[in-house]
This record gives sequence, C-alpha cells and structure tokens, in this order.
Amino acid sequence: MPLFEDKIDHLLSVPPYVQPPEERHACLLEVLKEELDYACQRHTGYKNYIEQWPGDYRSAARVADLPFLPVRMLKANPPLSFVNEDEIKRTLTSSATTSQTPSRVVLDSPTARRMTKGIVSIVRDFIGPARRPYLVVDTPGFQGSSELGARGAAIQGLQPFASETTHCLTASVQGDLILDRDRLKQFAQDRQDTEVLVYGFTYILWNHLVKPLRADGVRLNLPKARILHSGGWKRLQDQAVEKAVFNEQLAGVFGCSPDQIVDFYGMVESVGVIYPDCSAGNKHGPVFGDVIVRNPLTLEPVAAGEHGIVQVCSVLPTSFPGHLLLTEDMAQVLAYDGCPCGRRGISFRFVGRVPKAELRGCGNIENRRSATS
Amino acid sequence: MSISTTELTHAVHSPAEISAAAAKLRQAVSALELSPYEVMEIFDSWAKSLDARELDDLPGIPFLRLWLRRGTLEPIIARELGSNALHGGWTEYGRAKCKAFPLGVVGHWPAGNVEIQPLLSMTCGLLGGNAALVRIPSALVDLTRLLMEKLVESDPGERLTRRIFMAAFDHRRQDLQGAMAQVVDGAMIWGGEEAVLQIRGLPFPHWAKIAVFGPRMSVAAMDAGAWSNPEEQKAWCLRMARDVWQFDQQACSSPQVLFLEKGEGQSTGQFLSCLRRAFETENRAHPRRTIPAALTSEICQARASWLLNDPAHRAVFPPGPDWTLLVGEGSNIPQPTQGKTLTVLEVDDLLKAVSKFDGNVQTLGLGMANPEKEKKLALLAGNKGVDRIVKLGRMHVFVPPWDGVDLIRPMVRMVRHVSSTD
Repeated sequence: MPLFEDKIDHLLSVPPYVQPPEERHACLLEVLKEELDYACQRHTGYKNYIEQWPGDYRSAARVADLPFLPVRMLKANPPLSFVNEDEIKRTLTSSATTSQTPSRVVLDSPTARRMTKGIVSIVRDFIGPARRPYLVVDTPGFQGSSELGARGAAIQGLQPFASETTHCLTASVQGDLILDRDRLKQFAQDRQDTEVLVYGFTYILWNHLVKPLRADGVRLNLPKARILHSGGWKRLQDQAVEKAVFNEQLAGVFGCSPDQIVDFYGMVESVGVIYPDCSAGNKHGPVFGDVIVRNPLTLEPVAAGEHGIVQVCSVLPTSFPGHLLLTEDMAQVLAYDGCPCGRRGISFRFVGRVPKAELRGCGNIENRRSATS
Repeated sequence: MSISTTELTHAVHSPAEISAAAAKLRQAVSALELSPYEVMEIFDSWAKSLDARELDDLPGIPFLRLWLRRGTLEPIIARELGSNALHGGWTEYGRAKCKAFPLGVVGHWPAGNVEIQPLLSMTCGLLGGNAALVRIPSALVDLTRLLMEKLVESDPGERLTRRIFMAAFDHRRQDLQGAMAQVVDGAMIWGGEEAVLQIRGLPFPHWAKIAVFGPRMSVAAMDAGAWSNPEEQKAWCLRMARDVWQFDQQACSSPQVLFLEKGEGQSTGQFLSCLRRAFETENRAHPRRTIPAALTSEICQARASWLLNDPAHRAVFPPGPDWTLLVGEGSNIPQPTQGKTLTVLEVDDLLKAVSKFDGNVQTLGLGMANPEKEKKLALLAGNKGVDRIVKLGRMHVFVPPWDGVDLIRPMVRMVRHVSSTD
C-alpha cells in the first residue's frame, strides 16, 4: 500500500474547514507530490506529461506549481486509469451537457471508499452527522450499476446520512420523469416533525417537483427539511430562474425556510469533493482538497477579487488522474481566508463556464477538415 | 474642413443608414475619377504616418506599412491592371487597349481574427477606384478607428476618405448584412467557413463580383541543410518565431506545423533549443496583453493530449500559455490549436509530407539549403493546393496573388477597346 494512504485517511478524519491555509497547503503539497510519484509509476503517458512540465514537481513550493491536467483529458476512452482492470469497482460518467462525450473515471475500492468519506466529511459540516429520512427527487434506477452517472453518484454520496430512502420520481417507458405524488405525499405526512434530507439535481427539482406542485397549490409541510441540490443552472437558464426565486419557491413547496437549502457544486471528475454554498453564499475547499483560480493570461493564481479558470485539487482519487484538474469553469476568488461563515481557506463563487472557443476567422479550418476527413 | 474620425466609423442601426451611405459613396466615385497613382500617393503618406511610436505594439502594423508603400504597390498595379494603369491610362495588348474601371461600391467583410484585415481589404478595392463599404468586426472597431485617424491626416483633401464608410454592427444582424449586400457592386469576403457561407448567401445584385478568401492554414518546412547549419540556425529560428507570433497564429498564413527533414546522423536537439530561445525572445519582445480563457483552455488541452497520448512525444512550454512547442515524428498535420502552439514534426522526406496536403494549406513557408529540392517541393505543393510558397519569416507578407487570386483586379472591370479607326 502506498505511503500516502495513511496521510489521506488522516486528512479525512479531521474537521474539513478549520486548518489555517498555510498548514493545509503544506499537507496537501506533501501528499500530492507522493501521489504524482505513484501516478508516474502507473501510466507512461501521464509520466511523460509530468516529466515535461516546466519545473520539477518534486521541488515545487506551492500546490499551484504542481502539474495540472485539463479535465477534458478524462473524456478519453478507454478511461485514463492507474489501476488494473480487475481492480476497477465502478466507472463514473459525467452528464456531458456541454459536449457529446462524457468524462469517464474509474474507481478502485480505496478511491470509492475515500469518495464516500470525503462527501460525508463535507456534508456533515453543513447539516450535521445525524442519519434521517432521505427523499431523493429522482428515480431509483441508479443502484447496482457498474457505470454510474453524475446524478447517481450524488444521490449515492449522500446515502450515509439516510436512515431510510424514498425516491419520488418514476420514469415512463419513453424515459420521461414523472412525479409520484402519492409516494411524496405519504413521505411528507409521515415525517412532518422529523428532520429530513432532500436531494435532487437543480433542474429536476425545479421542473419535476416545484413547478407541478406549485401549479396545484400543494405544500408539503416539512419545516425541518434540509434540501441539497447540485448539477448547475445551465438547464434553467432558458427559463430565467434566478437563484433567489428558486430558493423561495422550493422552500415554499416544502414549507421550510430558504436558508435550509444548500446548492453545491460537484464534478464526477473530482470524486469525493463537493463545494456547498456557505451561509455567506461562498464556496470553500476542504482540508483534503483545494481550489486554485488561475489567470487565463499567466495561469498563475489570481488575486482576491479577480476572476479566472478553476482548478480543483484533491488527494482522494488514486485510481485515475483526478488530483489536479483544470476545469472549464470560471470563478471569482472572494478571499484567501476569513469568510464570515468561519470556514478557513479560500472562498470563491462560480461565475460560469469558460466560453466555447469561437470560430477564429480565416485561420480556422476545423469544420472543413472534419467534414472531409 | 477635415472629416472627423468618428464620421469614418459608424455604429449602424438600420438598413436605411446603409442605403444612404451607399448612395453617398456612389456619388463620390462618379464625381471624381481617382487614378491608382493618386490613391497610392495617399497610401504612401499613410504608411509613413503609421510609423509612430504609439502604434508600435499594434498587431500587423509592419505588414500594413509594407503593403501601403509605393515600392510595394506600384509593381502590383502594373502587373494586375496593366503597365499604363498607374496613371489611369490604357495599356496596349496587341491591337486592343485595356483599362481598369471601378465596379462602384465594394463591400468588405473582413474576418475578426486579423486586426488589420478591414484596412487591407479596403485598400484593395480603393486601388481599383472603388468606394469602400466596410463592416468592422466588433472587436476591431477601436483599432480600426485609430488607424483611420492616420489616413484622415494623410488625406487632407478628403479625396479618399469620402469614399469610405466603416459600418459597425453585430454580425448577427441579418437585416443589416442583407442591406449591405444589396447596395454593393462587388464584395471581398474573408473568414471562417461559417462566416463565408453566411455572407455568400446574402442577396447581392446579380452583377456583383464576389471574391472569397476562405479558411486555410499554413505550414513551414526545412531541410536538414538549413536547420543544421550552425551559422544560419538562429536566423531561421527567429524567422519562424516571428511568423508564429503575428496575429497570435490565427491567420490563414500562420504556420501551425514545422516539418524538419531528418539529416543523416544529425539530431534536431540543438535546433529545438535554438527555436525555444527564439520563442522566448519573441515572447519578451511581444508579450500577450490579453487572452480569451477558451484559448488558454485549448492550449493546456493540446499540451496534455500531445504528451499523454504518445510517450514518445516531447514538448517545451513555459508555465503560462505564452507559447508551446510540441515535438514528434510523422507527416500528418495535426488539428491546429493556434495561440502560438507550433507542432514540430521530424520527417524522412519533406516531399512525403507535402504530398499529403489536402487543399487546406494556403502558405508553405520554407527554409531550404537545397535549391533543387525546393523546386520539387514548390511544384508538388502547387499541385497539392498550396497558393503561396515563401521564405520563412515572410509568411504574412501581403502581396498578391493571395489564395491564388489577384487582390485589385477582381474588383475592377477591365474594359477592352479595339479601335474602329485603325
């Protein structure tokens, strides 16, 4: 077993947001360097990439100086893997909303275990450790498959907080999602005075729960509901749904306060690390991961207040190259420490996707080449 | 009274504004015949005024200056329009005489990626005696206005500037694009496939002459005698870097690949070190001021996929997205990344690499020590669709024929007169 296993387990065992940034970065840097050593032993192509990075990672003084991988590389098929085929326990796929090709990441047992622990560590910090009835605003079709999509991964990631699980959507023969009103009503009636956990993809919650229930004037009366959602706002953009309106109407349907709703960002490619909104509306990196927002002009970390391209860092994955990923999201850094919510380290907000590269005039031959190839 | 520069760049909101502008332009052309010489005189003065310190960092200015010089334009006019065309005379061709007459109003649709293209395109039409109705890509409005200020200074009599209307509007305004097409007698269209197809589909009059300069890419190649010569190596590398740097490698004349022909017992290592130093030098002299996040993303992606997909591949790049050298072997042209990302490929024989060109390659920039081999390469490249074969360092020099066609002649009518009195 590689040496870093114990160090990762230690990071997963401590509260995720209390370490001062300098301490956290020192720990991360040490583990990430060991993981890079390990990765280079496991994949010749990755080793080639790392070796030709400008500057030796072994002498890097900052996490920001370590070689990162563009997240699109995880769209490779077969997936980039550091483990043998017989060690792969599960393959996660992204939702691929902006391209036709999903990312595919392979999980071995240790990575899958850490993924669960990572999510538990983070979510516990936001909603507490208790298990409670878990309402999944989705279909129950995800369980047991060796290939798991982003929705399934998120649903499963919250399972450790469930005392029992209820799914309130079904799928028609054509694959359309249908709200099972009887089941939902029963769930709400039985648990009016109980703390419950609700999870759904943002657009599914809106389209398949909030809109139909509001149209019928239904209120579920679950004042102790904690509602988590993720998956992004892209599919709600054409409906012009603002976050404040979403929260207000979702809270109205459940009969809870809007501040019991938590929007979190997660990506299949960075398993085990999610970024919930804190009470100040910001996002934070946990002790076993971090976020670097890079200036597109220099690829150096931006100053507080500036926008850039998001890089996510995580010590959790060791079965695929997911520890240092340059994403295609943009964010603004609010501060490098001192968020009013009390969580230490960087606080940031997503501001959108990296715009798709535009057609670049007379030098762009992409269409012609692909049309004739 | 001189024309203010704001009158030269107009934010256009309605088709009626375009129709009115075209009517004025047509009037200006019919009111005064301007010979190519008179236009050239103004351009020559404009070229001198562009030699200003505040314009030094603007992309493409050296090329614009070079293009506008009398020494460049005079032979081009003579070759394209006839030996007596300079002063508006008739040129004899056997028993006939020919003279170039303007089409009238020429519309220009430049691409948004080459900063000086609105002006280059415009000058081609003006040299033919035409008026110019130019759509300025949104990103180029400020730069174009700055350069037009210098033209205004160089044309105090407004002989030329009254023939120019620069229209700024969103490219998605089909009504304005259509209005522009309807009022022109000729069109010069530059850009990528999507833009070219969209503009060609506009309702031009049936008589309008249309010249299209569509999407292309360019390639560089060197034989071993050139790249391995220690006395020449540095100069070749600097030329290569300059060709890559111009227009952030997004022009059709920008080299995306450099083929190096292998030499017996010679390693390319020293040449690549020299090329790296040349890129570093050029980057210090002309650093980027800004970059779209999407391009940074593409550059990072290109580096990673090149190195991960084949452990035999090599690459050299700085921590930022400033420039990238991707090194490998093979004669296939990879998908261009642009943004100063040059793929250097070793090949056994340059002829083999050129024989694979598929019509997309516009310019072949050469660094050759073997003149016989260069002749063979030029012949083969011409057969494989290449339109320009030039020395490295001169890949962007704007001289016709460009894309295989002349630049002034397509926008004139060549009138033939066979005398009835002879």
